[in-house]
Amino acid sequence: MSWTKICDASDVSANSVKKVDVNGISVLVVNYGSGFRVIPPLCPHMEEPLEESGIVARCTLTCSKHLWCWNMQTLEMQGETEKPLKVYESKEENGAILANIENELTYEFEDEGGADDDDFFK
Amino acid sequence: MKIAIQSNSGEHRFDCRERETILHAGLRQGVNLPYECATGTCGTCRARVMSGEYETVWKEAPGAKRLKPEKGDILMCQTHPRSDCSLRVPSQIAASNQPRPAPRRGILRDVKKLTDDVAHFNIDLSEPMSFEAGQFVVVGTRDLTGGRAYSMVNFDPSSAACLDLVLKRKPGGGFSDWLFAGRNGEEVEVFGPLGRAVFRPSEGKDIICIAGGSGIAGMMSILAHAVQVDYFRDHKGAVFFGVRTLKDTFYLDELSKFVQSSHGNLEVVVALSHESSCADCHEKYPALKLATGMVHEVAAKNIADRCENAIAYVAGPPPMVDGALRALMMNGLPVGSIRYDKFS
Ligand SMILES: Cc1cc2nc3c(=O)[nH]c(=O)nc-3n(C[C@H](O)[C@H](O)[C@H](O)COP(=O)(O)OP(=O)(O)OC[C@H]3O[C@@H](n4cnc5c(N)ncnc54)[C@H](O)[C@@H]3O)c2cc1C
Ligand code: FES
Ligand code: FES
Repeated sequence: MSWTKICDASDVSANSVKKVDVNGISVLVVNYGSGFRVIPPLCPHMEEPLEESGIVARCTLTCSKHLWCWNMQTLEMQGETEKPLKVYESKEENGAILANIENELTYEFEDEGGADDDDFFK
Repeated sequence: MKIAIQSNSGEHRFDCRERETILHAGLRQGVNLPYECATGTCGTCRARVMSGEYETVWKEAPGAKRLKPEKGDILMCQTHPRSDCSLRVPSQIAASNQPRPAPRRGILRDVKKLTDDVAHFNIDLSEPMSFEAGQFVVVGTRDLTGGRAYSMVNFDPSSAACLDLVLKRKPGGGFSDWLFAGRNGEEVEVFGPLGRAVFRPSEGKDIICIAGGSGIAGMMSILAHAVQVDYFRDHKGAVFFGVRTLKDTFYLDELSKFVQSSHGNLEVVVALSHESSCADCHEKYPALKLATGMVHEVAAKNIADRCENAIAYVAGPPPMVDGALRALMMNGLPVGSIRYDKFS
């Protein structure tokens, strides 16, 4: 367990995202109005930086590149989205956003040393 | 050549002709492969070749930026097979209820400038084509490598023998320079119809159109269809058309006529990004409203009470499209009700 302070809750206004570097790991903090999520900074579809392409509205995060989207409360995939979003466990304490960052969460775009090609489908 | 595709929804097989892209071959035979631009920019048609020889049309295609060519990753819209090929496509391939695209030959006619940097052109087709309002075709000439996408401006309820198209000149752009050199009578290749940003009256929704520059093309087709079926008797429409200055406007006569036949239910706002002030409505076309600012910002201010039960169509340069998508979602429009084409 390593709960780390990511930023102050007041640093990320409602319906917006903010990229933060914590100990060499980039994460994206999403304020969806009724709560926060801490996620990897790239869209799981085609690695678009969500800091730029992410739109937060009505409890949903949408990547403007091809409109994949996820409900921020339930993490359900919506519309034509085909990959789930990974999230760091997070909490809000005394006005700070904390996340439990054990290892960097990544999507399988890179497949170092893997002999199998299944990364393409993940 | 035989193409076998493994997708998240099973296996598909089809034939591919010499010098045909895998995307065109699949779509032509009813295999609804994933795509958006069909011209190498968006990356949606990516696939991995598991076996077989192939040739890449446009190696520097922006859509291939994040692919791994050493693993056999390709864009299906930029790949000619050289032997039988087996591919994997990392998405679902669902059935389509749209007209199947096909290659046709066409002759360019009536190329004429509408403004300093916008030209209208027609293509007379070797065989008529049925298409839905909002669709586009990929046009190729023997003088240029690769196709360019253009959205139909006209709408024909049965099938069209002639396509009306419009081009905003891109400085130094291959097709732009080629067309502006005056090309009446020139032969072109046309593949289509393509595109899922279509208008279907049976959906029964209000419509919002946000267009930057030549992005108005597909909206003209949508409005033509809507007016033909008297859609604005029962539904509302709002069009936001962005250009730089009053001098850069085009299609105002046509837009004005659409407003006049809309029973007061269609509003058209022309947004001028490079004028500091303007009248409330156009002097010559009082049915058209004017506003200053970027079109997605003008739209953002005017759609709050229009998004309920609406479908939005967005087309134009990518930053404008992204701004418009943001504005629509902030106003509560779900992604399923947003259809867009990015002109990059
Ligand atoms: C769905 C869609 C609809 C569009 N509708 C319209 C419209 O109605 N009106 C309009 O003005 N524009 C439209 N565009 C933009 C249009 O397709 C062209 O990008 C634009 O006209 C500039 O073309 P160009 O040849 O002048 O510029 P260029 O810079 O020469 O080429 C632009 C595009 O052509 C293709 N291309 C360029 N070089 C190569 C190559 N070597 N090999 C393969 N392909 C290549 C690529 O797709 C590139 O993005 C649309 C785009 C899309 C994706
Ligand atoms: S890259 Fe985000 S939706 Fe495609
Ligand atoms: S569909 Fe091939 S890159 Fe857009």
